[in-house]
Parts: sequence; structure tokens; C-alpha cells
Amino acid sequence: MNRAMERRRNIGISAHIDSGKTTLTERILYYCKKIHRIHEVKGKEGGGATMDYMELERERGITITSATTNVTWNDYSINIIDTPGHVDFTIEVERSLRVLDGAILVLCSVGGVQSQTLTVDKQLKRYRIPCLAFINKLDRIGANPFKVKDQINEKLGRRAALLQIPIGLEDKFQGVVDLVKMKALYFDGPNGEIVREEEIPAELEDKAWQSREELLDTVSLFSDELTAAVLEDRVTEELLLKAIRKGTISREFTPIFLGSAYRNKGVQPLLDSVVNFLPDPSEVENIALNLDQNEKKILLKANSNAPCVSYAFKLEDGPYGQLTYLRIYQGSIKKGDELFNTRSKQKFKVGRVVRMHADHMEDIEGAGTGDIIALFGVDCASGDTICSPGLNYAMTSIYVPEPVISLAIEPADKTSTDRLARALARFIKEDPTFRMYIDPESKQTIIQGMGELHLDVYIERMKREYRVEVTTGRPQVAYRETITTRADFDYTHKKQTGGAGQFGRVMGYIEPFEGTYEFINKVKGGHIPREFISSCDKGFQASLRKGQLIASPVIGLRVVLTDGQFHPVDSSDIAFQLAAQGAFKQTYKKARPQILEPIMKVVVESPSEFSGNVFGSLIQRRGIIVSSIEDGIYSRIEAEVPLSEMFGYSTVLRSMTQGKAEFTMEFLKYGKVPANVAEQLREEQRKKLEAEEKK
Amino acid sequence: MVRKTLSARSPIKMMEKNISGGFGPGNLGVFASRKGVGKTACLVQIALDRLFEEKPVIHVSYASRVDYIISWYKEIFKNLATQQNLQSAMEVHDRIIRNRVIMNFRQEGMKTEQVTKSLEALLGPGNFRAKTIIVDGFNFYLPWAEDLALFKKFASEHQVEFWFSCSLKGEDPLFNEQGIPFILQDYLSSIDVIITLEHDNSHVKLNLVKDHDRISNKKLRLQLDPQTLLLAKI
Repeated sequence: MNRAMERRRNIGISAHIDSGKTTLTERILYYCKKIHRIHEVKGKEGGGATMDYMELERERGITITSATTNVTWNDYSINIIDTPGHVDFTIEVERSLRVLDGAILVLCSVGGVQSQTLTVDKQLKRYRIPCLAFINKLDRIGANPFKVKDQINEKLGRRAALLQIPIGLEDKFQGVVDLVKMKALYFDGPNGEIVREEEIPAELEDKAWQSREELLDTVSLFSDELTAAVLEDRVTEELLLKAIRKGTISREFTPIFLGSAYRNKGVQPLLDSVVNFLPDPSEVENIALNLDQNEKKILLKANSNAPCVSYAFKLEDGPYGQLTYLRIYQGSIKKGDELFNTRSKQKFKVGRVVRMHADHMEDIEGAGTGDIIALFGVDCASGDTICSPGLNYAMTSIYVPEPVISLAIEPADKTSTDRLARALARFIKEDPTFRMYIDPESKQTIIQGMGELHLDVYIERMKREYRVEVTTGRPQVAYRETITTRADFDYTHKKQTGGAGQFGRVMGYIEPFEGTYEFINKVKGGHIPREFISSCDKGFQASLRKGQLIASPVIGLRVVLTDGQFHPVDSSDIAFQLAAQGAFKQTYKKARPQILEPIMKVVVESPSEFSGNVFGSLIQRRGIIVSSIEDGIYSRIEAEVPLSEMFGYSTVLRSMTQGKAEFTMEFLKYGKVPANVAEQLREEQRKKLEAEEKK
Repeated sequence: MVRKTLSARSPIKMMEKNISGGFGPGNLGVFASRKGVGKTACLVQIALDRLFEEKPVIHVSYASRVDYIISWYKEIFKNLATQQNLQSAMEVHDRIIRNRVIMNFRQEGMKTEQVTKSLEALLGPGNFRAKTIIVDGFNFYLPWAEDLALFKKFASEHQVEFWFSCSLKGEDPLFNEQGIPFILQDYLSSIDVIITLEHDNSHVKLNLVKDHDRISNKKLRLQLDPQTLLLAKI
């Protein structure tokens, strides 16, 4: 079992949009003999890359959902998850990173470190995932792997070095020089399947030795043995590989590989590096929380004979029911086993166990620690922990960003309401960043997500998978309210209606707070009995759901309760809740509240010739240009722009840059809205209230 | 009100008063010294001076990463705010930097025409009405430093002022008899003002060595505190 674990790798492939991840994965499947024919992304032959199995992905040429597949390379079993690069699908990347042990970061040799590269790099660091870098598309005009290596070091703050140098570039790209073996590698055969080793071309010898020295300099930081060997000029291949592995697994070093997946060059050495430099499951520390011991941290054992602890990271609704993808962190799972869901507290028996290959399944008897499998007919949610009975552990929840945009939807045809409900229920279960609620006032169904594209894709999926056409309202921005100054309150809630009365008096103040909300109790002498303090807190929190300016949630507020009064008979939980709510209502406007709007960090990458248009388009949208990084061909413009101004921007950008620019957008902070916008929002709220009163 | 007060007390105003030809749109100035003496600190304070007056600034950098530049501004602003006892300092900071855009270029292989084109794009279609452009990290030792004439022309045409930093390299002497750095001698026709910085005990003194058509070598009554990186009147 240990040997099996040593020969297992769980890796993800992460990158910016269109860096070539899916093409790379397609080549990996081909060289591992998992597929017998190469398909291109965007389906020139009427097919599509094998990993982009959803119809929508094929059509748009983007990867939407993560798919998993297992390959074998030189007797090593490798689970690969191909993940989307667009920021609107960050939850998919987050999930896969949670369950993987290593990653390949794919970069374009022309674009280099781009906006989404920075996001996925941050994610890799957050989940402490060792990674290799693969600089792809060396056949493109303008390819410059040395510049990209510098960017990896400077912009990503990594310690990275080339393990290869290119033999030719652009249309002259022929192969790579392996700086460990000091040999040239060429990729022959109709699909580059034959790797041929030759001596380094004479004209590249100097560059190769110089690059190798840089590599040795960097890697010897992790190995005293290698340092001694370098000084004594007796560096062996084995020693160097060992030091690189050590540096990579400790995340202090990032080895860089080169190639062109599209031209079938450089993939096989990359697969060798996955085996040589990325960790096996036993080399990664995994922690669970023991729910029976106050969430005490438990170090899991990489042992297939131990009790099972596994994590459900992906759900899919297929023709045979729900498919649950699991990563096994400890123990093993086989058909017929009894397991326990620690969130729902339900036991269940394991039916079919399958290993996934995009949308094909392979039935297996079971799997051990470190493996990724899927089960049928398990009722659970994404993020659930599944254990052997007797264990009550939870794996740490993955970080889930708050949605920033919402949209009202309505089925175009009333008879499809049921299908819409089923579609929404499924999507919500699969994706925690996709949410739905019914607006209590308008009774509209509101969906929420991470961006326009995120919601667009779900609307499209409703149409294709559930045959539901929906009409949509204007996207709504998640406004907030906050206070800007301290204000005191002293409020008495009193009601005497003949029977038991209500009484509660609260005194204190509200003030601005850097976080979302804080409640501090400073009441002394039992002026408010302890059991009613939490009632006050509840009352204030209930008031925060709707501010008095535009009925938006209130954030950034601290309540300090300093004194109060109670009645021995008439005081109760509800009385103090109402007192708190009354105090808030009385005081809120005195605290000079203001309206906040989500401000997005927008990064536009555009050919420099269009940068003027891009600057103008962002400034027109109340954007603040933060910086512009120019390298002569491309401009990378970073700006802070209110979300409300960004709707439809992708169309505008496309048309002003002949389709050559792209942008990413992510939530940055909440910012104060300008006076004219605040007035407009308040006017809309007034009209809304008037309309409701008339009803 | 606070910002106007800060601007009125600014040593930059004093520096400009000492330049007999004045300084403003159409002019090109250079701070010159060895590395690490305080040129960037001076440039950032000029930029902050304009930002306090709510005048947009473009900060062009050839040398540093954008996040380093942002840190420079934060650091110097923080020191200024402490010195002036400014209330709600970070709020003021966040407000004023809205008028600053950082443009980052790699000088190797980057032609000055491309840089001026990018500046034009921001000033023109971008509608960013900056009148002050800080240029930090321009390497005067590269052959295309002659391009300074292009920047001077740009300054005239677009009515903007440029302030450059010039890192002096090599062994002494670095200055001619009149105090002009040797490396800048060939570009004097493009440069209106040259201020050199030199260590003097615990402070850094500023010398005005070129004042438009005059070669002056005048000690300005200004010094830079190497601890706070702030300029102060002597």
C-alpha cells in the first residue's frame, strides 16, 4: 500500500485563460495512452478537447467545470484535475486545490504572468500547494521564456529557475535542452510521441552552461550536499534531482519547464517532472478537526488501513443520479463499506465506486489513501466530510468568496417553474458561490454569483440541461450601508396592554468599526440581566439586515452597550430585542450613515495601441487607474471601478480593441458612493416604498 | 482645508521659489546623486505636493515594481502626516492617490516614442489631466538617453512638467567644476533645472546647479532627513 502511495500523484493544472491548459491535458492523456486521438480546443474537427466535456465548454472554447481523470505514466498513477482560469469560476479552482497535492502552473510564453495567473498563484499559496511552472506556446510569435521566468520571480515573488532552455523559438522552436542531464531533447513522430536525446547544439552550449549554473546556485540553497558537490565540481544527476524535489515540495523553489503543447513538444519531460518533483500523498500533511473534542486538530495518517476520512469536493447530477467526487485522506473505501457523513449525521452503504475520466467511468472495487474516486447515490453536499463510523471529523471548509452580483430571473413559460427549481437546487448544491433566494417583497427569484459570466453560464445551462428559458432583470449590485461617526442611544421599549407587559431599556453607542459587526457588553451591576444581553445583540443584528437609507445590509458597525434597565416581570428576551431595534432606529441617522458600493479590481490586458481607449473607458466608468505596466507590446492596466459601472463592459472592450483585449474583475472592497449616485439610489428606494404603500 | 494647509507648508514650494526661472508646464528638471541618497524621496514629495492640491500626477517608473512605488508613497505620506499631525490620515491618503497613475516600463528595448505614446494615450483619450510627470529610474548611461530631447518636446507640446531622477555611477569625480554631473553635460539643452543631492553629516543637502540658462551651484536652504525621508527647510 505504501508503495502504491509513493507512486501516486494528485495534481491540478491552473492558469490564466487561454494559456493552453486544456490542450496540455489533452496531450498528457494522449501520451499516457488514455486517448488515441488528439482533439483541439474549440473543436475544429467537430469534437472538442477531451477534458472540455460539457457542451457549453466546447462551444465557448472555455473550461467551465472541473473534470478529473486518471492516467498512468511510467508506473505512476496520476489524478489530474483540469480547472478553469476565469475568475468567475474561482470556486472550482479553490475546490480542486483543496484536494490536490501538487499543481502545474501554465503560463503563455508571450503573455507571461497575467491577471488570473496572480489569482491562481495566490490560491496555490493559500493552500500550500507545491507547483511546477510550464511556459507554453513557445511556437508563438513574441515567445520569450526568459522574460516569463523573470516575471515568475518578480511578480509572483517565487524563487524559480529554468530546468530547460529552448532550442529555437517561434516558428523555429524545435525542442529543449535539459539542464539536469545536459542533453538536447527533440520530439519526433506525427504527434511528438518519440523523445530523442542528442548532444546540445554547439551554439547553445554557453547558454546551457550559464543557465545550469543559475539553476545550481538557486537549488543549492536547499541542499548542503549539493552545495558541497558544486564546490567540488562533482554534481550528479541524482543529487540535483533530489535537491530540486526537496525545494519544490517545501515550496521554496519552483522549477520551470518549457514547451508547446499544441506542437507536441515538451510534455513528456513535464510528466517526468510531476513524478520526480511533486509530492505523493504521504508527503503532504493533512489536518482534520475532531468535532467531538471542540474541533481539536488531528493529523491524518497516510495509511490505507486506518479508519477512513475523506472529503466530498465535487457533486454532479448525471443520468444515473448524483455523483460525488471524494478525496481519501486516510484509510480506504470499497464497495459495501459503511460510511458516515459528519455534517448530516447520516450513515450510508457504499454502492458503486468509480474512477473518472472526464465523462467516462471505470468501475473499481475500492481505493486507498491519497486517491480520488467518485461514488453513486450518496446524499451529501459539496464540502462534506465522510468518515468511517466512530469518527466525527470535519476537514477545514474551503474559503468561499461572497457573491457580488445578483439578478432577478423568471421562467419565460410558467409551466417550466418546476424545472427551474430543480436546476437551481442542483447548481446551488454544486457551487457554494452560486446562491438563490426569493425576494420577500417582490417575490422574485434572485440568483447571485461572482460575475456576469458566472450567471450567464448558469442561465445557459438552465436552457440546455433543463429546457428552461428565463427572462432576467437588470443585474443588481450588492450595496451596503455604514455609519461614519459615533452616536449615542438611550431607548426604552415599554408596552402595557392589560396582560403581561414588555419592558427593556438600553443605553450605549454605535460607532464605525473596521470589520463587519461587533457587539461589546459593558453593562455593570446587572442593570441588564445576563440572559438578556444576547437578546440585545440579536436585536441589533436584526436591525442590520436593512439600513434606513436604501434598505441595504449595514456593515462596519460596533455596538457598545453601557447601561440599561429591566423590569422584574415585564422584561423578556423579546422586550430587549425590540429595545435594541428601537435604539438602532433612533440612532442610526445620527451616526451619519452613508451608502457603499462594491468596488472591483479590474485588470485589462490590451495591445498598447488601444491603451488610450481603455484608459478612457475606465475613467468614464468612475474608475481610478491605479497603474499601467507596459512592455512595448501589451499594456496591463489595473483600475478600481464600481461594479455598477461594469455591466456590459466585455462587449465595449471587445469592440474598442478589435477583440484583442481581455479583462478580469474581482471584488476589492466596499467604497462610498458619490453624492449624486446616493441621491439616485435613495430616490429609487422612495419610489419603491411609495409603490408598495399603494398596493 | 487640511490639504491646502499641507500644500502651503510644503518645502517643495520653497524649492520652486528658489528657482529663479520658476518651474512649471514645459519644464524638465532632474535630481542627481549616487544611488540611495534620496532622489526618489524628493520626486515622491513633489508628486504628493501636487496631489495635495488635487492636481493629477503620472508616476513613470523604469526601475521598480508598482507595489514598491505604492509603498514609497504610503511611507512618505505617513511620515508627513505624523509630522503635520494630520487627522484621518489614511482617509486623506486614499482620497489623494486617486489622482495618481503609475506607469511602469522596462527601459531595455523600450523606445521613448513608445513611452510618450502611452503618456499621450492617458492624457488624451484617457482624459487624465495630469500636469506633472515624475520619471524615476531613467538610465542616463544608456545610448538612448538622447531621447531626453523628446521628453522636453513632449513637455512643451502638452504643457506638462517633468521631474527625473538620475543615478550617478562610477568613480569620483562625478561632477565638473561647475557642479554639473558629467553624464548630464550633453543634455543641458533639454534640461531646465538640475538639483544635486549630497551627504553632509547627518542630512542630505540640495544644490541647485542649473537654473534654466544659469549655471548656479546655489545651496538650497533645504535638506532631506534620511530617517523620515522628508524635505525640510534649513
